[in-house]
Amino acid sequence: MKNSQQGIWIGAKDLNRDEAFILEAQNEIQNPSLIDQLGNKQVAEGLESNRRDFLKYLGFGVGAATLAGCDIPVKRAIPYVIKPDEIVPGVATYYASTYMSGGDYCPVLVKTREGRPIKIEGNALSSITNGGTSARAQAHVLSLYDTNRYKKPQIISEQETKHVSWLDFDSAIKSVLKSSLATRIVTNTIMSPTAKKVIAEFTAAHPNTKVVTYDPVSSAAILEANAQSFGDRTIPDYRFDNANVIVSFNADFLGTWISPIEYANQYASKRKIKGVKNVKMSRHIQVESHMSMTGSNADNRILVKPSEQGVAIAYLYEQITGTNVSASSRLNSKAKAALSKVASQLKKSAGSSLVVSASNNVNEQVLVNAINTTLGNYGHTISFVHASNQRQGSEKEMTSLLAELKGGKVDTLIFMECNPLYNSSVAAEMTKAVEKVKNRIGLSYSKDETSSICNYIAPLHHGLESWGDVEAKRGIYSLIQPTISPLFDTRQGEESLLVWAGSGAYVAGFEQKYMNYLKNNWKASYFATQDKYLGFQSFWDSVLHDGVYNTVGYSTATDFRADLSAAARGISSPSSSELEVQFYEPVTVGNGQFGDNPWLQEMPDPVTRYTWGNFIAVPVNFDGEKSFKGLNNLVDGELVDVTVGDKTYRLPAIQQFGIMAGTVAIALGYGRSSGGFASKGIGKDVNGSLGSSNGMTQYFSDSVSVSNSKGKEDEYSSVQYHHTMGVTAIETKTGKTINADEAALAPGYGNVFQGFQGSLTERTVIRHTDLDHLEEAVDHLQHERAHHQKLNGHTLYPFGQYSDEKYSQGHHWGLHVDLNACIGCGACTIACMAENNVPVVGKSKVSIHQEMAWLRIDRYFYGDVENPNTVYQPLMCQHCDNAPCENVCPVNATNHSSEGLNQMAYNRCVGTRYCANNCPYKVRRYNWSDYTTADIFPANQVEVNGEETPYGADNLTRMVLNPDVTVRSRGVIEKCSFCVQRIQEGKLTAKSEQRRLQDEDVKTACQTSCPTGAITFGDRNNKKGELYEKFHSPLNYIVLEEVNVQSSVQYTMKVNNRDKTLDA
Amino acid sequence: MARNESNMIQKISSAFILGVVLFFTASLSAQPTVESGKTLFRNYCATCHDKTMTRDATGPSLAGAEERWSEFPREDLYGWIRNSQALIASGHPRAITLFKKWNSVMTAWPNLTDEDLESIILYINDASIAKTPIAGQGNRGSGAVEKSDNTVLYYGLFTLLGILSLILMRFIGSLNEIAAAQDGTSYERKSLLQKLTSKKFISFLIFVFVLIAGYNTVTRAINLGRQQNYAPEQPIKFSHETHAGLNKIDCQYCHDGARRSKHSLIPSTNTCMNCHKAITVGSKYGTQEISKIYASIGYDPNTSKYIENYEKMSDEDIKTIFKKWFATNYIQDKGQEAFIRKGEEAITGQWENMVTSLTNEQKKSVRGPIEWGRIHNLPDHVYFNHAQHVVVGKVECQTCHGKVEEMEVVHQFAPLSMGWCINCHRQTEVQFSNNEYYATYENYHEELAKGDRDGVTVEDIGGLECQKCHY
Repeated sequence: MKNSQQGIWIGAKDLNRDEAFILEAQNEIQNPSLIDQLGNKQVAEGLESNRRDFLKYLGFGVGAATLAGCDIPVKRAIPYVIKPDEIVPGVATYYASTYMSGGDYCPVLVKTREGRPIKIEGNALSSITNGGTSARAQAHVLSLYDTNRYKKPQIISEQETKHVSWLDFDSAIKSVLKSSLATRIVTNTIMSPTAKKVIAEFTAAHPNTKVVTYDPVSSAAILEANAQSFGDRTIPDYRFDNANVIVSFNADFLGTWISPIEYANQYASKRKIKGVKNVKMSRHIQVESHMSMTGSNADNRILVKPSEQGVAIAYLYEQITGTNVSASSRLNSKAKAALSKVASQLKKSAGSSLVVSASNNVNEQVLVNAINTTLGNYGHTISFVHASNQRQGSEKEMTSLLAELKGGKVDTLIFMECNPLYNSSVAAEMTKAVEKVKNRIGLSYSKDETSSICNYIAPLHHGLESWGDVEAKRGIYSLIQPTISPLFDTRQGEESLLVWAGSGAYVAGFEQKYMNYLKNNWKASYFATQDKYLGFQSFWDSVLHDGVYNTVGYSTATDFRADLSAAARGISSPSSSELEVQFYEPVTVGNGQFGDNPWLQEMPDPVTRYTWGNFIAVPVNFDGEKSFKGLNNLVDGELVDVTVGDKTYRLPAIQQFGIMAGTVAIALGYGRSSGGFASKGIGKDVNGSLGSSNGMTQYFSDSVSVSNSKGKEDEYSSVQYHHTMGVTAIETKTGKTINADEAALAPGYGNVFQGFQGSLTERTVIRHTDLDHLEEAVDHLQHERAHHQKLNGHTLYPFGQYSDEKYSQGHHWGLHVDLNACIGCGACTIACMAENNVPVVGKSKVSIHQEMAWLRIDRYFYGDVENPNTVYQPLMCQHCDNAPCENVCPVNATNHSSEGLNQMAYNRCVGTRYCANNCPYKVRRYNWSDYTTADIFPANQVEVNGEETPYGADNLTRMVLNPDVTVRSRGVIEKCSFCVQRIQEGKLTAKSEQRRLQDEDVKTACQTSCPTGAITFGDRNNKKGELYEKFHSPLNYIVLEEVNVQSSVQYTMKVNNRDKTLDA
Repeated sequence: MARNESNMIQKISSAFILGVVLFFTASLSAQPTVESGKTLFRNYCATCHDKTMTRDATGPSLAGAEERWSEFPREDLYGWIRNSQALIASGHPRAITLFKKWNSVMTAWPNLTDEDLESIILYINDASIAKTPIAGQGNRGSGAVEKSDNTVLYYGLFTLLGILSLILMRFIGSLNEIAAAQDGTSYERKSLLQKLTSKKFISFLIFVFVLIAGYNTVTRAINLGRQQNYAPEQPIKFSHETHAGLNKIDCQYCHDGARRSKHSLIPSTNTCMNCHKAITVGSKYGTQEISKIYASIGYDPNTSKYIENYEKMSDEDIKTIFKKWFATNYIQDKGQEAFIRKGEEAITGQWENMVTSLTNEQKKSVRGPIEWGRIHNLPDHVYFNHAQHVVVGKVECQTCHGKVEEMEVVHQFAPLSMGWCINCHRQTEVQFSNNEYYATYENYHEELAKGDRDGVTVEDIGGLECQKCHY
């Protein structure tokens, strides 16, 4: 491992050890002047007051105060007229349902309070996700309360928008359809069998209708390749839990590819480590150009240029099968050497290996199929029995639709909950071509690029207001049930189609018409597939209760057959261009589908930790010295002009480790021209620059150039260097390495304390090793921990003396994070925001370090600077039993409970921020502004994205708030509470049932959201509990144990299974 | 929380003003005690006689009973109450008149003493004079707790001390004069006015004023937002005294959330209907209040059936139904003749009362949920759970809510201040022994077994910690 760094690092700034970095650390909690904050001279001038104003306000104040003191407003308590049996106000009710957006899928339990959904949990009964969720599934509940929603059906003609009743709307549409000669329905992947039946009915009623399916990010090549190879146009069932060697060609299967929750769950089961001896874990090799979230979790990464993906696959094919397809001459030598070694490893693990690729080239996918067939993986790690329905889109259908549109052959276009004018392969051309279509009907949820050109808008229910079913994989079903009455005058898309089809099966008399239709379909189609229930109603009730229903799958796949030499000829050929660009789907907003969700916008990108927008990731050049410069000497946050083909985008640059030299990467899904105020104008839309080959979208381009720096981005909203713990820098004066945080605290005395107990330069934030050195590393860890603990005992008040007395009975809460299972997906961060009413602050506030997230996922690199390994560390309040924050609070607003919780009493806090300053983990957050308009003075409100009210300040969005958690106002500190509301609820359940508390009673929001089970919460005193077992693993360590804060959170040492022979 | 904070400054400053203004205006209200009479009345008389003393029930209304018997000796009245049959048999003229009018006799109560009867009469007089308690905050005179008032005594003492100090001042002045005369020095005696306008005295006055005003400001600021004795006007004149006291309905029959939720819950209208399908006319307000339940849920008392499609019914139709019901009852009660004279006016009044009670700016129809005035309001940053206290802690409802079964109009009994909560947590013992949950407190169990510990209070298991209630 040449270029190997001793420690861990965060980014180029950290490695460069600029002294400027100290300055940044100094401003860890930035407090710009009021004028800077407002950024508006007028407002600033308006704030200057004179004596007259003073007297005015005084007079008003005294008057208002006198009035306010006199009367206490009468509050109303309004009971039900007829109370539903299942609802007890004050007690949460959970409904099993399913989160589905195109091909995104997650069976969920929806927590409702007083009839409104406030939180989403995974459904543990699902055999696909096993209770895991993703950030998108967690954020689903917020989109229900989106202010950008369509609220009424509308007909738009000649610049005039008419809101009409559904009755009028339907008759208008019916007459349109009657006269329509060619109707086309455009949709994303439909996984619902009943919805497909609805469409069939519609097509039968209107025979000149065709359905066109596309996916926002296409996987059509896999479908076509499987159709060619096996006669089964589908995505097979990948089993990462059966694979010992995983090779992924640019497939971000933990983040975005096909079914990430499922794959993450399977993947992690092979990555968790118990014990020290005879440890086995899978090896994951990622062949890619930029660092994807999945790539960052890989043991080894093989870097190729985007255009080299094809030959890389072909080369592996060559090595596995021995057939020469003349790939070797076209691939870079480093990758070649590595791949030949990978091939031998794959052969050794034949039958228990898995090769996947995200390539959208059919021939390349055929080669991947050939590799897996040769390795005998079919039937073991890949099967068709429970093949996935999660991607069904076809670009060919879109291309032919475009041709029809251009020819003016289409009268009526129905857009079914999709946005092809933004995220389809033909978006730009289609935008022009749709003008020829007379009737454009949008079954739309909220305003977007597509719905804004429609002349009929049929507003849709949210998923949490709808009925439906999903067959995500063959034979594995789940149901969608409404958890709230429709908020607005909306209707399900399926229902609209049934009405317009004049369906006889659609009985208007029923209160919930589509439920009736759905039930009938289930009675006809699935009731007979089981023999457990004799009556349909009991079968239906059980499926509705469980949310999932599994029956046998089926496979129509034949044996593998392919013209492999033709396939090898059809792969994309490497470009000779100096610079290439890789486009990718971000984990957060997808290809724009989730852009309207502020939670996802504010969630940092896992790898670069950039929020609110896209950026250009540029490779870092290492000159062998201590200088790490980005492409064109760019540093983080500098704006550049990126020219792809004929389009130029101005984007901030981020120096990204682990990118193939001569490659840059840009995320899709931003730069929406029409959308809600969370998405509109955020970032740049690069969908228009996607390449194409044989009618398939190619997510890279070789015609790209990057300018030099065009200045700094004003609101550079990366949280990369916020809230750092122990990053180092070189002091100019002495040339010594010092701790940046410490230097910021005591300027000029940075290294006085070096070597002493509590020295901050060699901080133990991350512990990592590789599998080969596990035993030594654990020995070393134990030794070092013992040393720290010994030194920690040398104080006037050794912790051990009082801890026994204090925590030996009752509960003593603790949390464990398995760094080997954590993939950095961010589901926990969104779950935390939802559970604890954490506000969204917006881009400008993030740029000045004021983000509010209680739980952040720190990303560190280690190892080879050119191709590093990554470790993700979820960091929340560590609930130190010897907490430094508690001692410095002048009003005792933060103090310790007998159960080991670091308590925060908001109503006691006066906002000195001493605690945040004194926290070694930097997990305390200060409410700089009034994010929820709990405060009445408009001057204290924060403007987000140019809008007048902040996110979450309007009454619709406020419906998502958890009523059991206080909404914090301006001027108080907040932080992770270990979900104390859940602790108290769990304790109460145990108490009322007169039994001991069990692990199941209390689970934190981050824990339940995690797709890989990386987080465990529990009572350290419960010797039979899961946490007790995990806390006694020899791999455990405590972050910054040497500073003797006695934290209650433990981490498992990160172990990778890196094959060093591949680095040579 | 934030609302409170922002209001706090306003409130503290207003409290200061109020503190200064209201400093000397102490309340002087005092009430005579009729407590024993009330209890006796409840135990012996209330089954047949109307509590408000204004209406005839099974027995006649009792207002003015004492006066009606005034021409006879007091003993006759006592005898009439103790054993009416005996008095009738003895041929007492008033007894016979009454027997003829009512054609029934009252149960004999020979065990009641003369004092008991005096108390009852006192209570009857008091209850017939006393008006319905004025709705509003902090204005309840006849609360559950009655204190004797020492204000007069204090004023007396204050005056006495004032006079005493004046005498003493004169005395000291005289002594000084004598002393000066003896020393041969001159002494200029100051008049009272001079003394009262001296710097010393004025600064003393200012000092006292600041002290008292400051004390008042602080105590009043602390009490801002607290609503002890708060009894807002409710849309229905629901009597807990009748329901929980007289008819002994269990609290949790209606407030069924108390055992399973953080909220105790105001019962939904369908819970009321469990009983009021049968009980259509109230003992006190007749059809007036109970009909509001019917209007809320859509029940036609004329036909004893739920109204179909009630949610679509026009207000005019609803009005017709209830006016019919009011009319029927009016005629039953007061007769056809009275109805013709002023029936229309009465039932229109009744309907208007119903509309005023059940509607407001947002809610235009009498249909739908009844919007009660919420009496117990905790700040947003306080988490309180009824189930925790009622099920786990086995705390009686009355501990925090007072004797609700004796309240005609419910008021907030406890101050609901943090000090009040904390105090209870300090004193209350946890139901420790027979709940397996607490088995994890091994040390305490050991100490209990050894006898080193008498019990475990809520405080001992962390009941005073911030995040038990604030999160």
